[in-house]
Amino acid sequence: MRHTLTIFLTLVLLWALVAQTNHELSGLRVYLFVGGLYVTYASLMLPWRAALTSILLGGLLCDATAPVAFGTHVILFSAAFAVLSHLRDRLPREDTIARVVVALLVNLALFLLFSFTQIGGSPPPAAAWPRLIADLIVSQIALALVAPWFFALQHRALLLSRAERAALD
Amino acid sequence: MPFRRLSTARPFLTLGLVVGAWLVVPVVVKTFARASFFELTAPISVSASYLRDLQQYWALRLHSNDELVRAGHDLSGVLSRYEFAVQQNTEMRAEIERLEGLLRLPAFANFRMEHARVASRDFSGWWQRIVIRKGANYGVPVGAPVIFAGGVVGRVAEVHAYTAVVELITSQNVRLAGVVEGDTRPISFQGGLNPTFGPPKGVVEFVPLDVFAAPNATKRLVTSGLGGVFPPGLTIGEINTLAISSDGLFKTGEVKLDERLGSISEVSVLVPLEQP
Repeated sequence: MRHTLTIFLTLVLLWALVAQTNHELSGLRVYLFVGGLYVTYASLMLPWRAALTSILLGGLLCDATAPVAFGTHVILFSAAFAVLSHLRDRLPREDTIARVVVALLVNLALFLLFSFTQIGGSPPPAAAWPRLIADLIVSQIALALVAPWFFALQHRALLLSRAERAALD
Repeated sequence: MPFRRLSTARPFLTLGLVVGAWLVVPVVVKTFARASFFELTAPISVSASYLRDLQQYWALRLHSNDELVRAGHDLSGVLSRYEFAVQQNTEMRAEIERLEGLLRLPAFANFRMEHARVASRDFSGWWQRIVIRKGANYGVPVGAPVIFAGGVVGRVAEVHAYTAVVELITSQNVRLAGVVEGDTRPISFQGGLNPTFGPPKGVVEFVPLDVFAAPNATKRLVTSGLGGVFPPGLTIGEINTLAISSDGLFKTGEVKLDERLGSISEVSVLVPLEQP
């Protein structure tokens, strides 16, 4: 319970920072999407149940603040969690660079899936893709820069909340 | 061996369980969860917005007295022009009321202006919306039109305890009935084209064939007043290209929207007044 709450609080912090960044970038029509960061650390490092709960809470947080069918982020994040859980024993999950690469791949997949669910209503759907590709490139660069810090923050938060021993057991 | 297989498939079984559970969860629970999570995030957006205001205040305090005096002079000129416009406006309103009385016309919908600061802007390629710092606590209703100095901003999509979410006209979900300024025939407007680093754009459809527009001879698109949401005459944007549609009966084209929508910090919500 403690590590679920700790990881969820770090996700709230991530949401707040990304929301503020997007607020400032709105004039340039650039948007950051970092869905991969909501899923990666918990899926690779936390026990199965705690990881799933924190990812579901993170998905609900994103769903509540986006004009999408409620549950879209929850389902997408759960799917990413299922794939990562399946692969976690085969990944060098203690290595930060490996985690960043996983986060980038997850973010790419989530962004594309999310785009396919959302652009149907656009007047000419094909016209939306140049903007989406530009957003994806910016998001991937931002994620690569931020991910090591965010993983360290999540690890440190678990240590501070004295949940790490239980989390890693 | 079967246990090992089950263990390997556990993540996907869980995913199936989550999807299944989500499908059977009642709408009331989902609505409650959505509202709860939104209200959880609202204080974060609102406090960040107040912090930005404070930052701006301290930045303005750094200006010299000379700059402030110059700004005051400029402002007094603008104020005198506005005062004259207010007088003219009052006279015109009286004239409209007199004519409505003479001709027994129904009165135009009346609105109360509720000015609100923007707490956060959320402009993705999928949607464009802003969160304002007024909600149910100021009587802001869902569907109310929102405007700013450049014309139409959008309409209120969600109302929360002390914030409201406004869906912008740049969003693909917003459709409006507009008219070309000086014309009375309604045309359909839809937002949705938001190129990176460029001005937001929308699309017009069902434009009569005798309307012409080009990048060097744009036409102003204003609200028609049809549908009862937006009062007539509010600027939507400038039609800069028109081409004959595939059926040959109408024209379709592109509308350039106000670039300031991307950096908007203050809006006015038009709250409809109850008719006596």
